[in-house]
Amino acid sequence: MNPLTFIARRLGAAVVILVILVAAMFTLSHLSHTDPAHAYLGAGASKSAVAAERAKLGLNLPITTQFFHYVGNFLHGNLGVSYRTRNPVTQDLAEYLPATMELAFYALLLALLLGLMLGVASAGHWRGARILKFVMVSGASAPLFLLALLGILIFYGHLGWLPASGRTSMPNPPTGPTGFLTLDALLAGRFNMLINALEHLLMPATVLAIGPAVSIGRVLRGSLVTVLREDYIRTARSKGLRERAVLLRHALRNSVGPALSMTGLQAGLLLAGDVVVEQVFAWPGIGYYAAQSIPVGDFPAISGVTLVLGLGYVLINALVDILQRLADPRVRI
Amino acid sequence: MAMAEPFVTRQQSQFRGPSAKHHLPVSLQTRLREGNRPAWYAGSLLAVLTGLAVFGPALAPHSPLVPAGAAFTPPGHAGFLLGSDSIGRDELSRVLYGIQTSWFSALAVIASGVLLGGLIGLVAGATGGWVDEVLMRFTDAFLALPGPVLAIAVVAALGPSLFHTLIAVGIVWWPFYARIVRGEVRSLAARPHLEAARLSGASRWSIMTRHLLPGALPAIVVTASLDVGNLILALAGLSFLGLGAPAPAPELGAMAARNLSYLLQSWWVPIMPALAIFLLAFASNIAGDFLRDSLRNT
Amino acid sequence: MIMARAMTRHRQPEPLAVLPEYPGGPLSGLATTRGKHPHAPVITDIPASPAPPRPAERVAAVEDLHVTFRRNGRDVQALRGVSLEIAQGEILGLVGESGSGKSVLGLTLLGLHPARTTTIDGKLEVCNQSLVAATPEDWRRLRKTHMGAVFQDPMTSLNPTTRLGRQVSEVAGSSAEAIRLLNAVGIPDAERRLSSYPHELSGGLRQRVMLAMAIAGPPRLIIADEPTTALDVTVQAQILQLLRRLRDDLGMAMLFITHDLGVASQVADRIAVLYGGRLMEIGPAGEILEGPAHPYTDGLLRSRLTLTTGRDRPIASLAGEPPDPTQPPSGCPFSLRCAFVWDRCRDEMPAPTVKPQDTTGSHMVACWRTDDLASSGQELAGKWPAAPSAPGLAVLANNVTKAFTVRKGFRTQKLHALRGVSLEIAPGEVVALVGESGSGKSTLLRAMAGLLTIDSGSIEFGMPGHAQMVFQDAGASLTPWLSVSTLLKERLTRADLSSNERADRVRASLATVGLPAEVASAKPRELSGGQRQRVALARAIAMPPPMLLCDEPTSALDVSLAASILNLIGRLRRELSMAVLFVTHDLAVARMVADRVAVMYLGRIVEIGPVDDVVGNPRHPYTRALLASVPDPGAKLTTARGEPASPLDPPDGCAFEPRCERSGDDCCLCDPTLDLVRPSHTGPARLARKVACLHPIAGVPRIPGGLPTDRHEGDD
Repeated sequence: MNPLTFIARRLGAAVVILVILVAAMFTLSHLSHTDPAHAYLGAGASKSAVAAERAKLGLNLPITTQFFHYVGNFLHGNLGVSYRTRNPVTQDLAEYLPATMELAFYALLLALLLGLMLGVASAGHWRGARILKFVMVSGASAPLFLLALLGILIFYGHLGWLPASGRTSMPNPPTGPTGFLTLDALLAGRFNMLINALEHLLMPATVLAIGPAVSIGRVLRGSLVTVLREDYIRTARSKGLRERAVLLRHALRNSVGPALSMTGLQAGLLLAGDVVVEQVFAWPGIGYYAAQSIPVGDFPAISGVTLVLGLGYVLINALVDILQRLADPRVRI
Repeated sequence: MAMAEPFVTRQQSQFRGPSAKHHLPVSLQTRLREGNRPAWYAGSLLAVLTGLAVFGPALAPHSPLVPAGAAFTPPGHAGFLLGSDSIGRDELSRVLYGIQTSWFSALAVIASGVLLGGLIGLVAGATGGWVDEVLMRFTDAFLALPGPVLAIAVVAALGPSLFHTLIAVGIVWWPFYARIVRGEVRSLAARPHLEAARLSGASRWSIMTRHLLPGALPAIVVTASLDVGNLILALAGLSFLGLGAPAPAPELGAMAARNLSYLLQSWWVPIMPALAIFLLAFASNIAGDFLRDSLRNT
Repeated sequence: MIMARAMTRHRQPEPLAVLPEYPGGPLSGLATTRGKHPHAPVITDIPASPAPPRPAERVAAVEDLHVTFRRNGRDVQALRGVSLEIAQGEILGLVGESGSGKSVLGLTLLGLHPARTTTIDGKLEVCNQSLVAATPEDWRRLRKTHMGAVFQDPMTSLNPTTRLGRQVSEVAGSSAEAIRLLNAVGIPDAERRLSSYPHELSGGLRQRVMLAMAIAGPPRLIIADEPTTALDVTVQAQILQLLRRLRDDLGMAMLFITHDLGVASQVADRIAVLYGGRLMEIGPAGEILEGPAHPYTDGLLRSRLTLTTGRDRPIASLAGEPPDPTQPPSGCPFSLRCAFVWDRCRDEMPAPTVKPQDTTGSHMVACWRTDDLASSGQELAGKWPAAPSAPGLAVLANNVTKAFTVRKGFRTQKLHALRGVSLEIAPGEVVALVGESGSGKSTLLRAMAGLLTIDSGSIEFGMPGHAQMVFQDAGASLTPWLSVSTLLKERLTRADLSSNERADRVRASLATVGLPAEVASAKPRELSGGQRQRVALARAIAMPPPMLLCDEPTSALDVSLAASILNLIGRLRRELSMAVLFVTHDLAVARMVADRVAVMYLGRIVEIGPVDDVVGNPRHPYTRALLASVPDPGAKLTTARGEPASPLDPPDGCAFEPRCERSGDDCCLCDPTLDLVRPSHTGPARLARKVACLHPIAGVPRIPGGLPTDRHEGDD
């Protein structure tokens, strides 16, 4: 099997997972405690109006037919209409998604960098390693909203260094072409805007990144400690290489694999955490949209968000797998 | 089985006489003593946490639901050790009740995950072949889904309640255990001791329960104990999003979420419950670390 | 086929000639330097040292070296006052069993101990640099400029994700230099190999790459820690020859660490014997092997099997096991096992002194009772009684084939483990299966045990009861959390016995294998390696089986323990009239335990017959190559080129043809069948001598102690 076949297979598996996800959402929409017809028409709707609405929504059709309609709609980008905003969910998502993508991107990047540093630093036998281990356990034990609340309390409330909500506090933010405010500001040459956007990103991205960073760091530490006991590390040392060369050239390369897999897994936690963080920081992304939808039981909106986040998660993991397979000479042809 | 004289080699004489006992390596006692110390710490810590969860409500000075004084009393004033909330309820009492919910919810999910996942993993790993293939494909499909995100959707669909939260998290949590147990069982199954047991005439049941399961148990226990912290956090997150028990119930995540707006004026109202979650998760993570260390030494 | 030219000596003289010259002088000068002082006296603290070594000749020296490190919260005293020197250009063989501290000495010379838990006392000097107070950076510089190292397992000692070119260049400095080094160690097609990864190379080639990295510089001292232990016998012989040649060409000194006196005898100029962290004996290799002055060395030599050891009686094995390095005895560490032990031995460790009869002053021994050893004769155990025989067959395997599907990267391949094997074993008979890795010997054994299903052919047992098996790694074959008595009783569940009778059976089985009854309550972890293998045997015979299958049961054990386990198997088969199929890679072991031997190569039996006949008079070129690769002291190694062919891709025709020096044009076309050597064979058919070769070696009367000469059968 050549690498292209592997990539094709891995992407095929991702598609299967997505189909399962869609089926799960369909099932959940039927288990939902809110009746769509009631939700759209409001509490005071007459019985006949509800019946007519049910027919219009296709809720009287056989369940399999409904499922195929659901899948068909999904493929056409039709995710239903939000009970709350009365907009098509797709339209709402399109509006909120770029903010989330930007936040998640920076958070994941930060998590990787932080995780790498934590892993390497805590694998050594220096004096701070114990304290670092303590800090890492703390980081892994802190609920996201505690970090967010403390961050706001200290850096916004007391020190006034960082903003506490939104993507930007400047007028007329650029609206395209990428949807990433930082990138768009850069493309438009508005450096003030860029700084402002980064200031707004810093706290939510860091809060979001800490948990995954600790997990990545712990896994990296574990595999580094194991790899550093390997015979080929002893060989490298017997050659008289400097300790740094041993670590960077021989140890790290062989220990990033598990850390990379962990990054893929942590992406799921990061995306779920995104809903919490966006709510606390009033970040106008799909997490915020979902958090607003939860109290009113707006299931089409929630399932739309779930599908989009699920897609992101599945793609990230497929990417991680493919990268790993291609990077390992032992499984290469 | 008498021994013919020429066959007595010098080797056997070693075990005769008073020094025979001496030849058994003494490492066992030492190892038990040293290896059990972290296990002892871990056990005590978990016992203290469980005790706090059981007796917490009995220690609560006030009702968690009825106002007991002025609103927004800072911590340490007017008998409110952790302050009072927006309608004058005692934060400490609410936190103590919340700890109970948090702790037992986490344990319940872990237990169901270990039982369900463990059973599937054990059967898959011990049977092998197509059973293994089918069970693990099923598990992998679950693992490939973004569990925490899916949990949000499940509770949102079923309607917010503590019970629904537990079901939702339980659904996404077990595959992890199935994988771990299966991996552990597979690696044990590759050891010659299973083949030796088979050749000895041990039955399938005996192989599974005597030669396989006890070996996988330590890994399961350690994984589960390290996972308690994660679950406390995950459940708190769902509660924070309003997916737990409805309004007046003293749930730690929801307490933080509902009082977000008071953060800058009365920081303790949202922060105290969040801190309680942190301490709970921190203590169980430390206990898990101890447990892991204790097994590494033996 | 890659290895076709690898073993030809001096095939590539150019690369060696351009290697940088040894700093001490031109390469040509080395021969004379070494010639003048072939066995320079080496121990510094002797009162009457005849010729104190000149500083320039000394590459490394340790004096009263103590090394202690913590493991699982206990102090392991690995080395307890060792003094020795390594002279320029000499190979010092450091011999010892596991736990003797030999590897610790090697790592200490390299400075590769984790400094946090290791304490080093005494004098330590490499290349005139005192190193007791050396910083890690000092050590690193020393390793970089003056030292090289080769370790046991070439598979794990190379970085799996880095190309060889990069790994070698890292120490060679440039690709051109890397290619020169790879050529120097006999790696064919070196330039192309630069872009290979370690997993793409065979074990022997990997070890050559390790050697190439070790000789970069070139260094003044190479530490070789069991460099051939993980290799097949024929490949081991190649590497041993290469090591000697490299030393001759480059003139570096070498500390050659090994558990096997025979291997040491093949390369070392001098031999040092370590036991329990102390030096027992040191001296010129020939002197140590011919006139060991220490009871331990003597015991080691006697329990070591050679192709000439008498096989009519039990092997003279050393009693007991090495001392616990966390609680070392205060006196001589060997006093616990020594037949000559005095009270003084238990209280006081003697300093090494010159062996009384030695005139050169270079043979030192640390023993109070050397004189008594010299005057004592060799005590022999009584002869084995004749093995019982019974009519019928214990097992009959007919044309068995087995292929495994293996995943290699993205593709799957067939691994042809057994390619048509027929074998019959009579009740009470012991047959040894001998072969290198990939020969299929273990697969056949496991198929007989019923642990795997065969693809075609048949295996029939002629007697009731299930065959039992003894594994190579006894520790792994015992369930770690179950007690010995639980494991033994499990064998008795089918038997109709009361619980008292069961307990009696357990005790009796333990006694039969020479273990005290207390062992019954122990967990496998609490037992030593030798005890575990005895427990495994006790478990097999708790209900005496018609047949015992042994999968290299002694290859993981130290020499002295291996001998006692072989004796035990020899006794049990006679007492219990068991048929035994004994898998081993070691012909000397096969010769000791077996009545008949079957030599396997790449999934086939290539030669089979009564063991004395096959060993004394091999007909198949492969059998002869195997025999010639056995590193017995005094034996001259000649070996087959190349390495065992891969069962993933068996060659056409005779599988041995690519390595065979007798091969004719027909060998790669025609697959030879296992035919009778003497068509006029009389007696039971299974005892017939058969060989699968188109050009078998002619039958020559056995020369005692020697190996037959080469003659084509057709030439006569």
